[in-house]
Amino acid sequence: MYDVWKNALAEIEQQISPANFSTWFQGTSIISNTDGHIVIGVKNSFYVKQLRNRYLNIITTALRNTNLEVNSIDFEVQTKVKSKVRPREVTASDLSLKTHLTSRKRPSPTQQSSNQETGLNQKYTLDNFVIGSNNDLAVSAARSIIDSPGERYNPFFLYGGPGLGKTHLVQAIGNELLRKDPSLKIFYTPIAHFYSDFIDSVRLGKGNEFNLKFRKLDVLIIDDFQLIVGKEKSQEEFFNIFNDLYQLNKQIIVTSDRLPSQIKSVDERLASRLTWAGAFDLQLPKFEDKCAILRAKAELMGANIEPEAIEYIAENVNTNIRDLEGEFSTILLMSEVRGLTPLELIKNGSVSVNKATRPHSVNSKQIVDKVARYFQLTPKEMCSKSRVSNIKTARQITMYLLSKELGLSTTKIATEVGVKDHTTVMHGIKKIDQDLRLNFILRDQIAEIKEKIYD
Amino acid sequence: MKIQVTQDKLAKALTNISRIAIGKATLPILNNILIRVDNKKVSLITTNLDMAIIDFLPVSSSEDGVITVPAKLLTEFISNLPKGEVVEISAKDTKVTVKAGKYSSTINGTIADDFPDLPEIDDKTAVTYKIGIEEFKNSISQVIIAASNDLTRPALTGVYFDTNDNSLFAVSTDGYRLAKKELIDKVESEVKAIVPANSLHEVLRSIGEDTEEVEISFNDDLVRFRLGEVEIISKLIDASYPNYQALIPKDNEITLDLDQEEAIRTTKLAALFARSVDGSIICETKAPDTLSIRSVANEFGENDSEIKTEVTKDCITRLNSRFFIAALNAFDTPNITMEFSSGVKPIVLHGKNDTKYIHIIMPLSK
Repeated sequence: MYDVWKNALAEIEQQISPANFSTWFQGTSIISNTDGHIVIGVKNSFYVKQLRNRYLNIITTALRNTNLEVNSIDFEVQTKVKSKVRPREVTASDLSLKTHLTSRKRPSPTQQSSNQETGLNQKYTLDNFVIGSNNDLAVSAARSIIDSPGERYNPFFLYGGPGLGKTHLVQAIGNELLRKDPSLKIFYTPIAHFYSDFIDSVRLGKGNEFNLKFRKLDVLIIDDFQLIVGKEKSQEEFFNIFNDLYQLNKQIIVTSDRLPSQIKSVDERLASRLTWAGAFDLQLPKFEDKCAILRAKAELMGANIEPEAIEYIAENVNTNIRDLEGEFSTILLMSEVRGLTPLELIKNGSVSVNKATRPHSVNSKQIVDKVARYFQLTPKEMCSKSRVSNIKTARQITMYLLSKELGLSTTKIATEVGVKDHTTVMHGIKKIDQDLRLNFILRDQIAEIKEKIYD
Repeated sequence: MKIQVTQDKLAKALTNISRIAIGKATLPILNNILIRVDNKKVSLITTNLDMAIIDFLPVSSSEDGVITVPAKLLTEFISNLPKGEVVEISAKDTKVTVKAGKYSSTINGTIADDFPDLPEIDDKTAVTYKIGIEEFKNSISQVIIAASNDLTRPALTGVYFDTNDNSLFAVSTDGYRLAKKELIDKVESEVKAIVPANSLHEVLRSIGEDTEEVEISFNDDLVRFRLGEVEIISKLIDASYPNYQALIPKDNEITLDLDQEEAIRTTKLAALFARSVDGSIICETKAPDTLSIRSVANEFGENDSEIKTEVTKDCITRLNSRFFIAALNAFDTPNITMEFSSGVKPIVLHGKNDTKYIHIIMPLSK
């Protein structure tokens, strides 16, 4: 029955303007058909009149074209919610104190929390999330949310570079919460889907449905929030939803690759609200953490790999966890194909991780030149005593790169960039090292410069 | 189509009806006002498909015809004309010319074919009530404050018109508080209908100075309000309303008499300190004559005020100050009776020896 109406709608859509179609036919359905007496459900009596007076002919023809026998057509008011999602019947007990205080708990007879409904991927759990010094703070906050969502860490703002486990951690929160209380309404969505849904809802005039969908949630998880840039309307909508949920003490979880204040064009009010309950960062894992991750992964895959091989990979992959795991998988696959153990592969040079692949034909002058050009300075300007902040940063980046890429001694670097002594260089390198953990813009910049250097 | 009318009358009518047309309708024509002259009878109409406002504008002279004009533009143009001018609106094809003294403009209108037909209420089958305008205005204002704006519970976003024991009541609740008012104490016909709070706000706004009476007519899915020259038609909310009678507590432990002004002042003082937290205040009675209203917010300090009134028993309850102040403010009498109990039983407010208007608030737990 429903399909017949769909076909008819498809035909009607071609005959009238899109605005008219979405206004008048959105949310209609066939309620019943007895011997060709068809009853069509519409939103309210305003629609009944309009459809009967203006569109009866078109509807009749369209239905007949689907080979349906049509004797008469009638319209009946039928609320959209009634036909598809059953509304919660409001009962007297609903108004009791219990709902007043913990509106979180609600009976949900129909909810089967499938992936599609929550957007969660069940493979992400806290058990397979390797905890280290780089993420322990965020994980303990996550645990607290699982114990009592909507309370202490609300909103929970998690940020960190790509591939550090943001998605894993927030999905794990969702999955754990759901395990504890399957009736919770949880929804995980990357911001990109959020705004494309939003645009669709506006286009199809389903704004209300969109609103409802989000406003009835107990936990909302938004991933990759930084991609909101330039989507002002979506941002506004998100802000409204955010406020509504926050007021009801619903848990909101947001991830981003940087702090909201560092994202261009994010409304200040929203930025400050997002970090109300603090911002938690996932940092690059240290050597020990990386080893732990790889060991966990090896265990999970049931793979046999020498500790030395793990250490080698851990030492040489410095970008993020995703790359780390990627490299690890490649080596395992290769070892299977070639019939050698991972360590043998590494020793005989068949695998080369990361910087081992880079040509060493760069010299210090090239690095100085490239950094200077990147910051639109002359090498002379950059290697001066100027303390103007962008020049100083450029100089420190040069020191950092000279040290990391060429392995020059601090004294040598000092002469290259024209600073007094090696302690200044040590300070500069340390500063960049530290900043890199939190400052994703800096990280992007350095990656870009490196690309230019090796280009 | 042609009408001639004074600026102030027209501006007032347009401002009132154009509110619902200045929206974000997907159908462009819904942002227009329909002007229809049929047998010298002029009607200005707007609709957002949840409701429609019709103004039967009395004019000095007119010619038959029909046209739609962008609501916002026309309203702003007319409102900015000098007072007292005679405005003439005429349409030729889709060109609408507006003239007033030395001001003249041409607005691009749209033909009226696409403007939706409005649903009608058949007076023969409809249930109709008449209420004095002051009574209606006060009553609805008293009740509508308790309506919810939570779209996930549609029933609560409206005001429930309910006949019970031959009386007509208006009721609304958001789950935390409930307001109930008797509109008419003897009615013949029965009704159970939820009118969207939004539509009622429009009705309240449409009440003019010379409106004397409102006529309310219900059918199965519509309600119509007639207020003098304005008529408002709205859909009803298709949901079942909770059994509110069961929510009104009986036999509360204690009954107090309050002076409205004093109670509001005291509560506002306490609320200042409660602002940062959840806005909760504590009401505690101490026999024989003290009601203390206090709040504690550690960072600012605390507040404790007393009201002298006859007290028979020691009780303590915790309330949302915003709801409490709104409720106290809603009364049109200075003598309010408050009934409450210790713990979680809802508190009841009503006029002294008068239960036509009842306002109930759920207490907060600690």
